[in-house]
Amino acid sequence: MMSPEQAVVASILLCLAGAVLTLLVSRNKTAAGWLAFAVTAATAVLILSAVAKVLAAGPSAHPAAFWAMPKFGFALRIHVDGLTAMFLMLTALIAVPAAFYSIAYMRHYEDYGVARYYPNFLLFLAAMYGLVSTTDMMWFFFIFWQMMTLPGYALIRFENKKPENIRAANKYLIMMQIACVATMIGAELLAVTGAKVTGAASLKYDFDTVCANLPVMLVAKPGVTALAFALFLVGFGIKMGMWPFGQVWLPDAHPAAPSPVSAMLSGVMIKTGVYGLMRYFLWLVPPSAQADYPLAKWGLVVAVLGTITLFTGTMQALKQEQSKRLLAFHSIGQIGYILFGTGACMALLPVKDPNVAVLAAIAFFGALFHVLNHGLFKGLLFLNAGSMLHATGTQDLNKMGGLMRFMPLTAITAIIASFSISGVPLFNGFVSKWSIYVAAVQGSGSAKYLAVCAVIAILTSALTLASFIKFFGVSFLSRTSLLVKVQAAKRRGLEVGWMMQLPQVLLAALCVLLGVAPVIAFNLMQAAMNASQHSYGIALAKAAPIMGGSLSGLQQINSAALFAPVVLAAVLGIVFLAALAISKLGSASRRAATPWLCGYMGETEQNRYVAHNFYGEIKRYFRWLGGMPASHKPSRIQVVPQTNLQ
Amino acid sequence: MKTLLSILGGVANVVIVLLLAPFFQGVLRKITALIQSRQGPPLLQPYFDLLKLLGKEDIESGESPLMQRFAVYLSLASVLTVACLVPMGFAAPMNAAGDVILLIYLLTLCGICTLLAGLAAGSTYSLLGISREMMTMIALEPLFAVAIVVGAVHTQSFRLDTVLNGSVYASTAFPWSGVIMCGVMLLSFQAFVQRVPFDISEAETEIMEGPLMEYSGPKLALFKYAQMAKLVIYSALFVTLFVPWGTGLMFPLGWLVFWAKVSGLVLLVTLVAATHARYRIDQAIRYFAALLAVALVALVLASYGY
Repeated sequence: MMSPEQAVVASILLCLAGAVLTLLVSRNKTAAGWLAFAVTAATAVLILSAVAKVLAAGPSAHPAAFWAMPKFGFALRIHVDGLTAMFLMLTALIAVPAAFYSIAYMRHYEDYGVARYYPNFLLFLAAMYGLVSTTDMMWFFFIFWQMMTLPGYALIRFENKKPENIRAANKYLIMMQIACVATMIGAELLAVTGAKVTGAASLKYDFDTVCANLPVMLVAKPGVTALAFALFLVGFGIKMGMWPFGQVWLPDAHPAAPSPVSAMLSGVMIKTGVYGLMRYFLWLVPPSAQADYPLAKWGLVVAVLGTITLFTGTMQALKQEQSKRLLAFHSIGQIGYILFGTGACMALLPVKDPNVAVLAAIAFFGALFHVLNHGLFKGLLFLNAGSMLHATGTQDLNKMGGLMRFMPLTAITAIIASFSISGVPLFNGFVSKWSIYVAAVQGSGSAKYLAVCAVIAILTSALTLASFIKFFGVSFLSRTSLLVKVQAAKRRGLEVGWMMQLPQVLLAALCVLLGVAPVIAFNLMQAAMNASQHSYGIALAKAAPIMGGSLSGLQQINSAALFAPVVLAAVLGIVFLAALAISKLGSASRRAATPWLCGYMGETEQNRYVAHNFYGEIKRYFRWLGGMPASHKPSRIQVVPQTNLQ
Repeated sequence: MKTLLSILGGVANVVIVLLLAPFFQGVLRKITALIQSRQGPPLLQPYFDLLKLLGKEDIESGESPLMQRFAVYLSLASVLTVACLVPMGFAAPMNAAGDVILLIYLLTLCGICTLLAGLAAGSTYSLLGISREMMTMIALEPLFAVAIVVGAVHTQSFRLDTVLNGSVYASTAFPWSGVIMCGVMLLSFQAFVQRVPFDISEAETEIMEGPLMEYSGPKLALFKYAQMAKLVIYSALFVTLFVPWGTGLMFPLGWLVFWAKVSGLVLLVTLVAATHARYRIDQAIRYFAALLAVALVALVLASYGY
């Protein structure tokens, strides 16, 4: 039986071998696709069994060293603890549907081969497995970071005949290099000054060494240590799309990539930044030094940055009229929630009160659960957007309408994803937001700003809903647009094939499952905390903030907050049937008709109410916030042949 | 025993809301007529309207009739689910199934159903209406959330029975935050129950009922029913949050006092609705934004214990 660490290394090697093989067979798109999927699935099996082992039986006592060159302080040491396990699980969960979706999706690119796609996809995946499990803050961090950045760059500029994609990829590359440098300077500061202070030399960039040095560092060199942590925040902030860095690269990069890669970028890649933030801020400082570590101040910074990020990202998303660009801005917004939850946890952890420790743990669980949820629903949304792109050939929401009639299954998965991200109860997004609000509002006794931040987060949740009502409504509902009519007539049906439907259905099912039975996720997270008991992990594991069962749902340990989704679903179901029965009372007859247009015979394309028309007043009031789509000057007012005027 | 009680309580709440909602609507229409020097319909007219609509032809004009049906049934269903979360003279029946955050989001779900219905109908007027409706929701949801959060901050709890019990006044010092929030909620209450001067998304005279424009027969009946029920439920919520006094009395008395207060609130809504003119959407948003600023001040006061 392989140890979890061996499984991670085996997965990475498997991906590398797969990259070479897919390059060799890349002339046959389908074969390369199936091969890449097989490799991804095999790594997922390895990774998930490793995760299961860690969560069930605890982590290995020590990191496993695979390759060491002590002269340079250079060693490939891998450790899979609970926190790593959660991120590994997320990576595997999103990578498999994305790889499967790619097989059919990549066939529609007529001008581009897959030689630059599948090999890079697998390298990208390998890097993410490595980045969340290495304990080396310098060399292997650098290697995995570049292994993630460079294939990512190639994937973003996949459609390299469009100049805007090349620009987007260049921006991505530059921002990622800045982030890499910032993080490495931070690590160097901790390692070098640490080595000077304590004299410990071998493997000076390893987590264990840094951990051991930090107590002395925090006392002797508080300024340098704070600078190092600030650099970590900047570096990982750039990666995860935190305000103000996220707006620079993220909204351009995500729409440029092919849709399954957008799903990976948004669902998984930006989460490595979250992983870095959690790992460096919460799992480095040993308990003995926690009195000298200003975690509450960092919590303030992170929570406030998170609040700004979630509001600006979502408000800018509200203005978008391109499907994938809209989703990309929402990635910034949702990362804001994760940051806010993490920040609330950091602000509350240092308070010496068991009740507050419970709240800190709830905030952390909320953030971690939102990482998982965002991966699921945003991955799904990008696949939906990919299917829409596949069907209509455009990302422009203004040109879409009435797709639900032509692609019902995609529509149903899209509405599940939209409900999840907007936090509708019984879908997974609600539960993670619930946890964050519960912690922040009750925690406002200890950190006053948290209540105001929580209300801004609730307001932003309504903005998210507004944006997705627009996204779903104008593309799938509304009235059939000219473009959709033309495409449907040309292609005889628009619904994507089963190979693109299956991954969407799988992700939608997971969203619903975690929404109705969130206790599964909370048990996993509790196991993860129990399996990462060092530094602040000890306090988080001890708090055990949620008790729950499949029927009784979730309950804060002192019963101050509770949510029983199964009961809610039952009640909602019963009254739904009651409403149905009431509507049948009069046994009214039913008839289909066209909408009433105040006497006009038909509706022209120009008179449709499109994405651009939504929320004019709010968009006007928040014009100063930026993010206005450049193309919103109406090219739509061209005269289209008025086919449906009689 | 506990489960049985909460099931009974839930059924009672749903039945009471379903029975009383059209009556309140009748009162509202009668009084409006009196204020405008008209005769007005009989008090029971809304019941007759609903019954008549249930038998009328159901015309589906949208691109996806399935979504239209789903949205309509869910719209009444979500309102009735909320009814199980609100204490109406007794404790909240679903006290053990959710907390006030769930309540906030379920109220949003009621709104979402109208939005989906409007989108599914697909008429330009409907879409215009739902764009307005959504903008109103963006401004209103946080107002209600602040009221709830103020209570939660004071009591350090999210439980329905704790928060929906005048918790906004439960501070140690004089409850400035509660008083301010009471004023804010009163000033925005018309918008929550979608009455003049904030019935901008329906606006019969300009966009012809907006989201509901394409609906007829039983679907329209359910929508109208849900809207009437919303008036009762929001009034009950307001009473439990801001006017808790007297509800704790012995059974028939406390129950009567509660419904008397709800009726008083409905009367107030009627008076305001009958004597005001509709705002434009941009005016309304500015108005709500000002209220939200005041509400945030109240929230800060609350977190400092006032």
